[in-house]
Amino acid sequence: MKNTIRQVFHSPKFVVGFCIFMAILLTMLVYPFINPGDPLKMIGLGTFAEPGTYVSMYDSVGAPFSTFKIPDADVKRLDKLLTQEDRAKMREWLELAQVDVSELDVGDMDSLLAMWKQHYDPEIRIPGMIKAVRNYYIRLNNSILSASVSDTLKVTDTDEATGETIEKTKISKTDYVNVDDVANVISLPLGTDNFGRDTLKQLVAACGVSISIGLIAGAVATALGLLLGLLAGYLGGWVDDFIMFFTNIFTVIPSFVLLILINYSINQDQRGAGTVALVIGLTSWVWTTRSVRSQVISLRNRDHVNLSRLSGHSLPRIILTDILPYIASYVMMAFILQVSSGILAEAQLSLLGLGPKTTEVPTLGLMMNWAMLYSAHLNGSWWAYFPVILVIALISFSLNLMNTGLDQVFNPTLRE
Amino acid sequence: MQKTRKLLSMLLAIALLCSLFIVPASAETVELPRNETLYFAGIQWGSVNGWNPLSDDMNNGMAITQNAGGSRSIMFETLYMYNMLDGSLTPLLADGDYVWNDARTEITVKIKPAAKWSDGTAITAEDVAYTFATSVKIGNARGNSYKPFIETVEAVDDSTVLIKAKLNDEGAAVNPLQMITYLEEAYVFQKAWVEAVEARSGDDPAAVKRDLGEDVVWSGPYTKYYADDQKVVFVRDDAYWGQDASMWGTLPVPKYIVHTIYADNPAGETALKAGEVDVCQQFIANIQDLWLKDGLPISTYMDEAPWGICVNMPTAYYNLDKPVLQNAALRKAIALAVDYDAIIQNAMTGQSPSFADVPRSLMNPTAGEQATFDHEAVKDLQWAGDDAASAIAMLDAAGIVDTDGDGWRDIDGEKISLNACCPNGWTDWMAAMEIVAAAGEKIGIEITTEFPEWSVYQTVVTAATQDQYDIFMMWTDSAAPTQPWGRVRQLMSSEFVGVEGNWSGNWGHFSNARADEIIAAIPSETDEAALKALYTEAVQIYLTEVPSFSLMYRPNMFHAVNESVWTNFPDASDGRNIPPAICVDGYGIAALYELELVNP
Repeated sequence: MKNTIRQVFHSPKFVVGFCIFMAILLTMLVYPFINPGDPLKMIGLGTFAEPGTYVSMYDSVGAPFSTFKIPDADVKRLDKLLTQEDRAKMREWLELAQVDVSELDVGDMDSLLAMWKQHYDPEIRIPGMIKAVRNYYIRLNNSILSASVSDTLKVTDTDEATGETIEKTKISKTDYVNVDDVANVISLPLGTDNFGRDTLKQLVAACGVSISIGLIAGAVATALGLLLGLLAGYLGGWVDDFIMFFTNIFTVIPSFVLLILINYSINQDQRGAGTVALVIGLTSWVWTTRSVRSQVISLRNRDHVNLSRLSGHSLPRIILTDILPYIASYVMMAFILQVSSGILAEAQLSLLGLGPKTTEVPTLGLMMNWAMLYSAHLNGSWWAYFPVILVIALISFSLNLMNTGLDQVFNPTLRE
Repeated sequence: MQKTRKLLSMLLAIALLCSLFIVPASAETVELPRNETLYFAGIQWGSVNGWNPLSDDMNNGMAITQNAGGSRSIMFETLYMYNMLDGSLTPLLADGDYVWNDARTEITVKIKPAAKWSDGTAITAEDVAYTFATSVKIGNARGNSYKPFIETVEAVDDSTVLIKAKLNDEGAAVNPLQMITYLEEAYVFQKAWVEAVEARSGDDPAAVKRDLGEDVVWSGPYTKYYADDQKVVFVRDDAYWGQDASMWGTLPVPKYIVHTIYADNPAGETALKAGEVDVCQQFIANIQDLWLKDGLPISTYMDEAPWGICVNMPTAYYNLDKPVLQNAALRKAIALAVDYDAIIQNAMTGQSPSFADVPRSLMNPTAGEQATFDHEAVKDLQWAGDDAASAIAMLDAAGIVDTDGDGWRDIDGEKISLNACCPNGWTDWMAAMEIVAAAGEKIGIEITTEFPEWSVYQTVVTAATQDQYDIFMMWTDSAAPTQPWGRVRQLMSSEFVGVEGNWSGNWGHFSNARADEIIAAIPSETDEAALKALYTEAVQIYLTEVPSFSLMYRPNMFHAVNESVWTNFPDASDGRNIPPAICVDGYGIAALYELELVNP
């Protein structure tokens, strides 16, 4: 046993797959301690907040500040307000409004802004200008007007009793707050999804659920396949005929179609993650049965089995001690592949809206389903679906690598 | 032998080559000049069944859609055009304003002398009268829904129509508002054509409705040109009567109107982004990103949230056939706990005013409807949502507590377990139901979502009774002359309880005697103060009993336009008073006459 394990861990493919899988498992176990809480909590109002760190504006106003005089701060501020493209567009508008712009240097922000404020009027209708462009200029103008002109910004509040305006504090352009001093900073490395839920937190939780769906499905399929294969192969005769009759029927029915039909017939409110896993397991045992059976048939007439039979050993004992150990490595590999395909099957089902009911636990497929329903793929919100695809790919890649690694160790024809 | 084989293979190759040329050639027949064509999306799903406007199932959205909020009049026309911006009726086939008699039991409408059918014959009062008579006779949707309100439509002479109301016991019109709605909702059909259909159907009502109407006579500015499972194309009728100075004085600008048939919303959205669609009637999540982030020449009626005029109130109904939901405290508690801001911001992506801006009632957010009830009198009953604390207190006070310690509340020792349903694929509704379910968890009531297919959903929801869906979504009426009365009736009237095939309202089967009295009293009430008192009381009943609760406000039509080819679409700030009705509904069609090319 020890030797086998050492052999297995000498296979580079297995080791790589194993490491990836363990890394995923480790993240799954550790991350909830770093970022605890309900992964399905809708924290954000609005859909698909971009990845990044969000600092509470409210809290940063009162926080202690330091003063820094950064030479290009003003330039940066203006660049954020008005991109080069915006400036070119402003010049374009002025030209269209028949303002003399021959003297104007777009690089000179002050004169551009001065000229803009002097001439721009949202009421002016420039012939041939479409509404979308007119709206763009109105928005641009509003952001220019709302941008602070003075060096300090006053924060005021209203006294509830008297209705008076009280000046709370002044913020200067050179005031900087250390992020550590702000009470509320949220870090969303993968932004939020369409419900305003933390995508990373959900992804980690979903990963766990999907892997357990895979494990349940794999265990069910392998156990069923193994049992039927052993019985059919060892007993032969009418038992073999009977089992193979059903196996052949299920082989010719595409299992995914069967999966869709069964899931469709189960009402959504009965469809928990466990049920879906069970259904996946119950539809994917056929190939395991066939291969286990054929291996058992070849084992059945080996000398040690015959000897065992002559010694009057019982059927379960023969199967457990004389046959099972010889196919254990194969069963293990089949199990790994079943887990991988179980995870994929859940993702495919959920994408069709036939996955587990959605309010209880996140799964990888459900995350993709909602991302697709809210057109994340069309509006550029890659963080809502791409990491999910990546994780699914990594999980099945690692499982498949482990499988090939094991194959190389156990399969004499592949052994180097 | 060798030669024959060679020859055969040559022939085969030639045949194959020829077939390559034949396929594009047949498609070329509908290749239309882009700068003469206005493309639509979001109205026609699946291919068109036919052109018979007397029928209700032609699946012909662009040509046949009669709607109290403004009928689609590119091919068939109504007497008046409704404008939801100010509630006005602009004469179309009618000449001048309609006139009530003193008792408000009869409406007289004149027909425009210039109005003509496509075959050149004049449109007469006889056509209007025969349209109504036939609709009632064959029992189509228009006939059935107006039969309780209109006694007869008569032709006094060629150009004068007299519409007589059904009278109640006091001798007054049952509902004068519905009669006005008829003027802007119902199309007028040519008597001669209707008679021809009846003749070839052997006067069998079902056969009349089954007729495909390929030979239909129309009066509007466009007519059918080409239709298959890919698209439906309309071409301008250059002989259209409306170019007469007494109507538009000109023809509509686009020569062709095309609706490509898309598989789903994302396909339509992609086409809009690519500039292949000019006018898009689809819910597009985060629509502002199309211009703010992507810089596309796309805009909506208003350049700020909610980007449209919200007149509809998608509502979650409680199934009152279920004994557990007959508990009003439970109904109100769930409604209190729901986070409506999350629904509006996440499910509707901000395309709705919030319930803090427009507190809930039976009325939509338009100023006209909001003025119909006393805001102070209902203030204490309204709620803005996301208030789990009050909901929990309410449940505790009502004795709905967790008796067996499983974390879920019980009624009569049984765990309350509800489902929240809406049709699969209706994205914003599905997300809203998820948020309702999340609210249940906060207050200890198990709610799970279920998204059946629309074909199943509609049969369950419109059944006389049902025990499958506990909380389920349906829409409400939008703006129309009968509102907000129509919506009060739709949300609370017990006349819809136990009706098989109920498409009209009160899908939760609520009944309240006082509400029914109010619904009966409002239409004939003319005193402003009394009317306001009635509406206020109706809102009070609704907010106390909570037979249903609105989840968001929503436009009747989404109206996103791409100005790659066409411009001068209606805009909230342009002062033209053209409603955002996708350029074809009600008075919204006025936009078609003012479109301009971006690059003429």
